[in-house]
Amino acid sequence: MLTYKFDWGVLWRQPYGEWLLQGLWLTIQLGALAWVIALSLGILFGTLRSVRFWPLRIIGALYVEIFRNIPFLVQLFFWFYAGPMLLGKTLQFKINQISGLNYYIAIFGLGLYTASRVAEHVRAGFASIGHGQYDAVLSTGMTRLQMYWYVMIPHALRLIIPPLTTEFLTIFKNSAVAMTIGVAETTFMSYKIDEQTFHGLEATTGAMAIYLVLGMTVVKLMDRIESRFRIPGLMSR
Amino acid sequence: MIEIKNVSKWFGEFQVLADVNEVVQRGQKVVICGPSGSGKSTLLRCINGLEPYQKGEIVVDGVSLSDPKTNLYKLREKLGMVFQRFELYPHMTVLRNITLAPMKVRKKSRPEAEKKAMELLERVGIPDKAGAYPANLSGGQQQRVAIARALAMEPACMMFDEPTSALDPEMIQEVLEVMIGLAKEGMTMLVVTHEMGFAREVADEIIFMDAGRIVERGRGDDFFKNPKSQRTKDFLGQILK
Repeated sequence: MLTYKFDWGVLWRQPYGEWLLQGLWLTIQLGALAWVIALSLGILFGTLRSVRFWPLRIIGALYVEIFRNIPFLVQLFFWFYAGPMLLGKTLQFKINQISGLNYYIAIFGLGLYTASRVAEHVRAGFASIGHGQYDAVLSTGMTRLQMYWYVMIPHALRLIIPPLTTEFLTIFKNSAVAMTIGVAETTFMSYKIDEQTFHGLEATTGAMAIYLVLGMTVVKLMDRIESRFRIPGLMSR
Repeated sequence: MIEIKNVSKWFGEFQVLADVNEVVQRGQKVVICGPSGSGKSTLLRCINGLEPYQKGEIVVDGVSLSDPKTNLYKLREKLGMVFQRFELYPHMTVLRNITLAPMKVRKKSRPEAEKKAMELLERVGIPDKAGAYPANLSGGQQQRVAIARALAMEPACMMFDEPTSALDPEMIQEVLEVMIGLAKEGMTMLVVTHEMGFAREVADEIIFMDAGRIVERGRGDDFFKNPKSQRTKDFLGQILK
């Protein structure tokens, strides 16, 4: 009987160790850049869902329903294979020539998908602010745009930091899906090590450890942000 | 300053305001009282355009709210409003609560807005709380900040919507004193309240509302001593015990 011989050395031996580090660096890039998109669009569409003017509310609702209900993997495939076609022949040709196109599409797709989830949290944040607050801001002469920008969005964001922490964590975990369109992030690299060394168990364990440490770092960071922006008297632990 | 002509408003089938007529002259202090659900707060909210009304007309400083071309935001700058539940911005300091609108709406510079805010905090008696957050203040202090926030826009008229109803008894007086001070300086005021001592002291006119109608109006002592309608008598009997 053949016994499996562990070789944990694949986690740091060159070139494998370097592959994993390169993968980690890409995972960080994907998550962080997609988060910028997710947060900006999430705030935008979450706000649109909450305003009084119904056409804007419908736009917000459509966005959330479409991006929240379709599996992220399917969305990513759509953007990767069909996305460039949407832009017409000439542009399609140019876009397909961009080197590292899959990298940009992964960031874009992950950002759009996560934005729909952020939007829902933002909406929940607005809903938990009492109605009198809106009246109070308007009664000082501020426009609705000023009201959302200067008072309501900063207020709502502070209320939803805990669920946003989860989303920020999830975006790094979901970035693993980008391997399916050939982005050489952490999970991709662990498979590549398996292919070359047949030590998939160690390589996958290595990837798991990387995600774990990355996740805990994100939580630490968000804890800091949370205590920095805590609304006095509201969140006490 | 404020003219309310035959204003009616419905929430669905339910009529909240029925042919309300009232004129508030510049410098006048009008107190509105009445049982809950009588339309007092709704009337105030209609005056600064926070709620639409279906019939009649409201004119503030010569500008009609019925006119679709009226810029409600500009109009609201003239009307300060103080709410029952204070409605301060909990994530901002007291100073920021007061300076926000002057800086964003009036485009005042920060030093200018802060100087004015400190003067107002001085006036409402809590200059030491400028850096505090609303949650660290007592109800009475929060309401005084709310008054300062409204005054920071230098409104021509101040509207108060049951400003002391959410306060502990011993904090009511500190808020009323600020309001009495304002009245003495000649501010035009429209106050929904059940503080009859305040009404007696400052009101040029007291209005009693019930079921969306103005049932009775009178001046100071006369209103309390000789109410004409039975409904007013019953109400005053309840609150003046």
